[in-house]
Amino acid sequence: MMPDSKPHATGRIRARTQTAEGLLFILPYAILWLLFLFGPILYGFYISLHKWDPLAGSTFVGFKNYLGLFGDARFWNSFWVTWKYSLWVIPGIIIFGLVFALMLQAGRFPGSAVFEAVLFFPYLLNVSIISILWKLMLDPDVGVISQALRSLGVTELALLNDESWVIPMVALTTVWWLMGYRMILFRAALASIPDEFYEAAAIDGATPLRRFISITLPLLKPTLLFVFVVTTVGGMRTFGQIILMTAGGPGTSSEVLAYYMYKLGFEFLQFGKAAAVGFILFAMIFGVSALLFFVFRLESHLK
Amino acid sequence: MSVGPRAAHITPLRLTVYYAIALVWFFPLLWMISKTFTPAADILGKAKQILPTTLSTENLWAVWNNWPFARWLLNSLIVTVCAVGISMAVALFAAFSFARLQWPGRDLVFLFFLAGMFIPWEVNAIPLYFIMNSFGLLNTYPGLFLPITALPVGLFLLRQFFINIPKEVEEAARVDGCGSLSILLRIFVPMTLPALGALAIFVFLFSWNEFFWSLICLQGSKRMTVPIGLKMIMGAQNIEYGLLFGASFLAMIPSLVLFLILRQQVIRGISIAGMIK
Repeated sequence: MMPDSKPHATGRIRARTQTAEGLLFILPYAILWLLFLFGPILYGFYISLHKWDPLAGSTFVGFKNYLGLFGDARFWNSFWVTWKYSLWVIPGIIIFGLVFALMLQAGRFPGSAVFEAVLFFPYLLNVSIISILWKLMLDPDVGVISQALRSLGVTELALLNDESWVIPMVALTTVWWLMGYRMILFRAALASIPDEFYEAAAIDGATPLRRFISITLPLLKPTLLFVFVVTTVGGMRTFGQIILMTAGGPGTSSEVLAYYMYKLGFEFLQFGKAAAVGFILFAMIFGVSALLFFVFRLESHLK
Repeated sequence: MSVGPRAAHITPLRLTVYYAIALVWFFPLLWMISKTFTPAADILGKAKQILPTTLSTENLWAVWNNWPFARWLLNSLIVTVCAVGISMAVALFAAFSFARLQWPGRDLVFLFFLAGMFIPWEVNAIPLYFIMNSFGLLNTYPGLFLPITALPVGLFLLRQFFINIPKEVEEAARVDGCGSLSILLRIFVPMTLPALGALAIFVFLFSWNEFFWSLICLQGSKRMTVPIGLKMIMGAQNIEYGLLFGASFLAMIPSLVLFLILRQQVIRGISIAGMIK
């Protein structure tokens, strides 16, 4: 979109006013962006290169914080815990979201709007509400899940205090909480598939499973990919559920990266090291997101 | 599994399965509501019962009387209104500039701004803490809402909508002597009201539910928002189950009311602007 004005005097004046106006219009946002979004990521990197002590004075240490982390068992623990958790959350969210979206695709049925609303609603709650709720449901004394397990004869009921159960339980909470948004995305993508495709396939005698594999799945691919990346990034950033439901415990068995970063900074006051964890997290997330864009670009080139 | 055309007939059996699933999914919230209105003593004493034998509002009063819940609500509301207002205002002007004004380097700058989408909110918390500290903005409302206004989602969304407005609309107005400001406010804003609504709802929910940055910015202060207040209740000395049920129930009400009134708009807002969560 080039300026449509011809290069005579008024055109030039107009171009100059447009430049001035253009810059003036972006100025307020540019300031906010610099101070509170882009500035902090640079500043965070700067902090990560220091033994940071705002009171006594900081000393430059180069990449020592990073090297320290790579030799730190607790860092690697949080790294693997994050992925272990993501391995539960990602398929959980995608499978439930897709199955519910397919149910809604089957057509308007009595109460389908309520069905959709009910499945989506938890997404609107803040992390404290959902953490309190699920912690109570899993509570050995009053929790409804514990009561149900007890009547089935299970005696080890403190699931959030159990090293092998804590991650799946927090993951279950998260799937319940965040699935609705993915369901909405899938439903929108399914709605854009023309009915004729299915009708034609049905005339050709394709089975429902065949129709799903040959029509639905390929047309859903971009959305699936998008949801996959959003959910992966979300998994890597998990914090609230952990600090509220388990505080990283038992031991450090649910200490995810974002929570380790928080603890390093605001409990151990090693801000340089905490900023280094943050920057590693940023690099991981940026990498995954960039991959998404690369794949999407590729996708649109192939069409 | 349904993979057929939309008009497919749904059998009563399948319908029953659907309703059962919806009920299971909603059960945690129904259970929470039920326990909220159970007398505090019965929550532990009659834990097996799902429905209360006697109804009581004592849990709600225990929250209301022992914790500054109303104050938390007010704080959340102030922060959220400011976050929505400021981010809409700055995004409107910037998006107009990127979509409709010609200036050198424009598209490059836009890409640069957009790259901010990849910066994870949580990662910025530590440097932001020191930045806000040097501005004296820790434990203040602006400290809470300013970082939210820097999110590029509004800019991205509105630019997309502005680009799709036909060029003739703008040119006709320019011939009539309208400047950029009046074109933006008198023509573009009314033409993109649905997008603005979606953006407002998205920022509203983001700000209303924000947890990580609020936790760091508010170190035990009077500016506490609802999610941080709930964390305080959770961390209190004795576990009082009734209080926890009552508090999470009360905290759910604003979202529930918003959803009941604006269900379609909320779902739409989340699905078009929700890419960054």
